[in-house]
Formats: sequence, C-alpha cells, structure tokens
Amino acid sequence: MTTIELCVRRQDRPDSRPYWQSFRVPAGSGANVLALLMALREDPVTCSGERVDPVAFEHNCMEEACGACAMLINGRPRPACSAQVADLASPVVLEPLPRFPVVRDLMVDRQRLFENLKRVRAWIALDGPWDLPVSTPRIAPRQWVADYLYSRCIHCGCCLAACPQFPDADAADAAGFVGPAALAQVRLLNAHPIGRFARTERLHAIMAAGGLSDCGNAQNCVRVCPKEIPLTTAIGELGRASTLQLLRDLFGD
Amino acid sequence: MSSALADPPSLHPHLLLRRLHSLLGLVPLGAFLCFHLWENSQSRLGALHYNERVVGALHRLNYLPLIELVLIALPLLFHAGYGLVILRSGRAEPGRYPYLRNRLYWFQRLSGLGLILFLLLHVGLTRIAGLFDPAIAADLHGYMQAALRQPWLLPIYLLGLGLAVLHLANGLATAAIVWGLTSSAAAQRRFGWACAGLGLLLAALGVQGLFGFLAP
Repeated sequence: MTTIELCVRRQDRPDSRPYWQSFRVPAGSGANVLALLMALREDPVTCSGERVDPVAFEHNCMEEACGACAMLINGRPRPACSAQVADLASPVVLEPLPRFPVVRDLMVDRQRLFENLKRVRAWIALDGPWDLPVSTPRIAPRQWVADYLYSRCIHCGCCLAACPQFPDADAADAAGFVGPAALAQVRLLNAHPIGRFARTERLHAIMAAGGLSDCGNAQNCVRVCPKEIPLTTAIGELGRASTLQLLRDLFGD
Repeated sequence: MSSALADPPSLHPHLLLRRLHSLLGLVPLGAFLCFHLWENSQSRLGALHYNERVVGALHRLNYLPLIELVLIALPLLFHAGYGLVILRSGRAEPGRYPYLRNRLYWFQRLSGLGLILFLLLHVGLTRIAGLFDPAIAADLHGYMQAALRQPWLLPIYLLGLGLAVLHLANGLATAAIVWGLTSSAAAQRRFGWACAGLGLLLAALGVQGLFGFLAP
C-alpha cells in the first residue's frame, strides 16, 4: 500500500465556481484512478484534515468499454479506469473533461456527444415502408478489418476534449464543429452494407457548417483516443468522399 | 430510406467556401509565390539583367493590371479575409498537446496573421510605392538594394519569407488531407516530408534572391 496525493478540481453545482482540494489516498499495487476515487469516497478527508462531501464521478464498466469515466488526468483527457496510478506523475491532478458542461465535480453532461451523432445521422435505418433489398449483409474480410477499427468507439469524448476546433460548452451553438467522433461514425456507417443507403445524406450533413471542413488537422484526436481509432484516416477518407460529392452536386446530377 | 429527420439541404456554401479558401491558397497564390521567388532569385545576376529581363519582361505582359488583380490581389484578399474568419474558431494549446501537427495548426494561424502584416509592408514598399514614383519601377533592383541595406528591413524580409514558405508548405500538406489525397497516417507523413522538401527549396530560392540584391 502506498499513499497517493490527489488534487481534484471540484464544482458543487453546474453554475458555481470551481475550486481545488487535495487528498492523500491509499493505493494498492495495480490501482487505477477509479480505484483511488472509490477509496476516497470511503473517507473523504482533505490534506488539511477537513471532512468534505465525497468527490462525484461517473463510472460503469471499469474496463474501458463504456467511456463514462473520461476526465482530465494530469492535463490529458483519458478514461480513469485505464489510467494506472503507477504510470502517473505525483500528485495526480484530476479535472472534469473539458468542452462538456460540469454537472458536479468530475461528472459532466455528455449530451453534446449524442447531439453531434444525430447531426451527422449516425444510425442505420432498418425499418421502412418496404423490405430492404439485402438479405444478409456481406462484408469482405479486408473491409471488415478496416471498418472494425471505427466500431471500437466508446464515446468517451476524449477526442473532443483535445480538439482545438471543438467549441467550448458555453460557446456551443448548433453550427459548431461536430468533432472527430461523429465523423468517424460517418466513415463507418457509410461503408456499412445497409448504412450506405443513406451515404449521400450523411455526406451532405458533414458538408454543412460545423462539419468536416471545420477540422483544422491539429490531429490531437488520434493521439489521445484510448481505443486508438484512426480518426484522422477517417477524416482524410471523408475529405475524398466529400470532394467527389461536391463535384457531383455542382456539375453532376 | 425513411427517417425521422428531413434531408439536409444539398446546397452547402460552407464546404464550398472552405474549399475555395484552400484552392486559392495553392493556385494561384502558392503558384505565384513559387514564381515570385524564382524571378527574384535572379537578382544576383545584376541590375541590368534584373531590371530588363525580369521586371521589364513582366511589365511588357498584356493585360498585366488585370492579371495582377484577378490572379493575385483578389485571391489574396479572399484567402486572408476568410482566413481571419477561420481564425476566430479554435484554440491551439500547443503546450498541452506538444505534437508536430498541433504545433503546425497553431503556427498556420499565427503565420497567416504575420503574413497579412508583412504583405501590407511589402506591397506598400514596392507595388504601391511604384504607382506614385515611376523611378522605382524603372530601377527596381537599385531600389530594393537600397531598401534591404537598411538594417531593420532585411530581418523583416527574411522573417516574411520564412512565414510565407512555411505557410505554403504546411498548407499544401493539410490541403492534401482536406481534399482527400492522403488519408492514412503513413501517407500523410510521406507527403508531409515532400512538402517540407518543397518548403526548404523555396526558402533557399528566396534567401538567394534577397542576398542577391546585396551582392556587389
């Protein structure tokens, strides 16, 4: 058992001012940041000996599959469950995930993620007034391997937190940049045997204001993605698709 | 396919404007920068050659004012003006994410601002000043030689040259991603090196031209 110093940026209400508190938390070998926060919840006493409300945080799967525990750890956005304390510099500094409105302490409102998925039509329409003209979707192994990379997205929001073009939560408007996560889903669903039927609609959605062309190619997204999704490759491929779609719209059909 | 939402409009001026900004930056502006640096690299060949074979030949072009306006001034105004619009969105955080691409994202915006200031000085000193004083156009080599001999101007010109060349080289690398030429990380890295090579070549050409004016 070692003792880890933890600095947490806290905020009591969505509209109140954030403040910092430090804690000393016992950590077993192999502990991750979530384990620290759970240990802290049992005995929330600050370094100055004051007993405070436990730090609010979100978690679910504990195995980097749900994305709920993403936060800023030592200044970098990443899921807390896969952040091993042994690999982190001391003190461990925790802040809520930027670009998302704070609900309380390390809990953020992640609705923006889903609003942006809706904007780019990141779904497959299965139910229609007529039968789909395909029975069993067939995908070539080579394409399946490439597509699978994008299906690993856990919607943690780390790529959005690191993106210099993704608007701040308080500056967000309906035409702000949709961000790399939603764009990668367009890449995935446009290649899907049934999803490709709405390919043009999705391309038109990302060709509007706040779409693909708001990307500034800073490429932080691909560096911080915990699932190592080739987000910038998706953006390049969508660039090609939207160039062709633009020519088709201007001079084609 | 049926869906709950109405189809997004197929007219998309946003992408068109962004792509126009990208295209104009490469052609004609980037192409003009290459041509401009090539022409001025001949300054070392002396006042007679430069004034007659370089500047004089250009002045004898048909429709020169129209070419300057349509191929240089208007694209430059649009590229700079829309660049300022793009500048309003975004924060770089080059300290938090110290990756090359993120630093170049920040640099591209900063160099754009610097280039607007430099070009105001550069165009004012040469093209605009030449409108009022025919002697400048008659002996541009002598005029540039006198101007660059002032100790404060040469560093500004070297800085402006560096900003322009890097802005073009990095702009070419990101345009390749934007238009969809390079998609994989490996392809983007390879093309990035090619752009860096082009930038070095252009910088060498520009430095040769600037110091050529000062050659005895």
